[in-house]
Amino acid sequence: MTETNDLLKKVIESVIGGDEAAAEALARQALEQKMDPLQVINEGYVVGIKQVGDLFECGELFLPELIQAAEAVKKATELLNSAITGGAESSKGKVLIATVEGDIHDIGKAIVVSLLVANGFNVLDLGRDVPTLDIIAKAEEFKADVIGTSALLTTTMVKQKELEETLVKEGLKSKYKTIVGGAPVTVRWAEKIGADAYAENAGEGVNKIIKLISGS
Amino acid sequence: MIVTRMGDGSFIKMSEEEVKADIEAGVEDAVKRGKIEPLTAAEIDYLVDICCRPQKFVSVQQGNELILTYDSGTLKITRLGIPIGMPQIMQIYERAFAADTLELAYVHYSFKPIKMIVPEEQYAVAETSLVTTAPLFYGAMPNLPLYTQPDGPCPNAAELLPAGKIAEARAAQEEAVEYAVKDMVFVGSGVYEAGADGIDFDTTAAAGDAEFQATLLACEQLRAKYPDMAIEIGMAGEFVLGFHGQLEYDGVRLAGLYPHQQVKLAEKAGASIFGAVVNTNSSRTFPWNLGRAVTFCKACVEAAKIPVHANVGMGVGAVPLVMTPPIDCVSRASTAMAEVGKLDGL
Amino acid sequence: MALTHMHASGMGGIRTAGDLVARMQMSKKMRLNEAKAYVAGKLKISVADLSDEVIMNEVRQDLDIATVYGGMGEQSRGIEAKFRIAKLLDLEINSVSRFLRKTEWR
Repeated sequence: MTETNDLLKKVIESVIGGDEAAAEALARQALEQKMDPLQVINEGYVVGIKQVGDLFECGELFLPELIQAAEAVKKATELLNSAITGGAESSKGKVLIATVEGDIHDIGKAIVVSLLVANGFNVLDLGRDVPTLDIIAKAEEFKADVIGTSALLTTTMVKQKELEETLVKEGLKSKYKTIVGGAPVTVRWAEKIGADAYAENAGEGVNKIIKLISGS
Repeated sequence: MIVTRMGDGSFIKMSEEEVKADIEAGVEDAVKRGKIEPLTAAEIDYLVDICCRPQKFVSVQQGNELILTYDSGTLKITRLGIPIGMPQIMQIYERAFAADTLELAYVHYSFKPIKMIVPEEQYAVAETSLVTTAPLFYGAMPNLPLYTQPDGPCPNAAELLPAGKIAEARAAQEEAVEYAVKDMVFVGSGVYEAGADGIDFDTTAAAGDAEFQATLLACEQLRAKYPDMAIEIGMAGEFVLGFHGQLEYDGVRLAGLYPHQQVKLAEKAGASIFGAVVNTNSSRTFPWNLGRAVTFCKACVEAAKIPVHANVGMGVGAVPLVMTPPIDCVSRASTAMAEVGKLDGL
Repeated sequence: MALTHMHASGMGGIRTAGDLVARMQMSKKMRLNEAKAYVAGKLKISVADLSDEVIMNEVRQDLDIATVYGGMGEQSRGIEAKFRIAKLLDLEINSVSRFLRKTEWR
């Protein structure tokens, strides 16, 4: 038990430190010691990345460190996932993400993408200034579970409404869960346009997407 | 019940106790994030009073007035679709809006596009300086992302970082800093040579620590070149995003700095005025945003040696994030910043 | 927005002494109270008078440093008033210095 706890503690430290090599070595060590890969992922790597997210939220860690941590988790969990009997699905779900047409702000979106990847989602990032019809076409192609859009301007947030309306018009609304974010966007806006969720920041975005996919 | 608003402008009703609790929570959030001193009990009570007064409009007591600088002044009129020239807009600001300072700005409010039209902007500055009496700024945004693909020559860090290319993302931002500094110094020199009293770097650090570094370096170079030039560094938010994470100015890591720390670097770079900014959270109440914004700004004022002007416009300084900011909130934020935040200007 | 702030907390621009106090912040990095005291001293009035429209309109007319009503009289305005403000506040005003250099007989 102590050995397991020690290893999990080291896993968490490796993630917070963004130490890719250590994170990967610890994953191998866990497999050699015949530990349950799911336990190592959930009680080690997931805990570590959550702590990184908290430190990022408090301004103690910055974006490159967040990415480093995410990379460390990605490599290590790939190893552990491949060892899970029956080859369990490594992705928690497919998320398509874009900044709406007319809006070129992509820094906040980059943070959301990084956190989603770190948390095990399969993410298709369409970038910025993406027309509504392109978002829908790519979502169909990618077979997305969730469509997330970002709008940083009061003048561009109307495109999130256009997306909802087009999804309804095309009979695709029930196929996808939608989540909206960005500085001028609020819960009230999300409700008004018919989006399934609103996220205030990247951390909340991940939690809301987990809930959307699990249906809770 | 007190009628107030959410940060997105929608009306809500709260009891006086709820208003106070929200102000205290906003103060607490600023204290926790910025590691700064909270407002005193008396100051919190005064904010409660400001929020709970039944009048639609609230103002400072006589004698507590401060200086108003208006960023992007000319754009505020052209944005309304009123087709008049820049000197005339400045005359309206001076004679009809009672502006203490004036600010000329080009519709593409960033240094990079302005670089190409500096001679035209010099005309506007020179003409305006003949027909106005109040001090004249020229303003623009550093806007570092314009130097990255697809808008500029440098690779885009927002694409490189999620792909795990950290070293490349950092190098790209460092390269963009060099381009941005050159443009800011070039435009700043041009408008000063045409007769402007100073330059306003608006929404600095919107793209993070690299943009803040570029602005500080440009400020330093302009100060060395023009010792009497007025230079205002206005920020984009209360927190410098660590998009690079390792950049420094004067030995201080830029990522993660809050207003009371940002102002010290602005001073060091030679700025005349520092523009503190605290973003409005559109999902929180006006009292929460007000408590938070005033706490950050007061700490900045206390740390500063140069004048501090808080940005109290759409979506900042507790003002709701809506195209038509409501007078009840703007006047309350204006009053609170002057009387509790003890700002030198807004 | 500009009008709301002007009414809520603004000094009043050239209706009062707002432009003069602003100049001291911009040129000499003076904090608000220091700038107000400096300008009041130069104008030989009290700090409280600086924000008073009635008193400042008279003071500005007497000193000929521009008011919002230029009228058809002899009152200085625009750059003319800035020449006088530069002397009054003992300041270098960029546009004034450049004007002087350009109009110098060569």
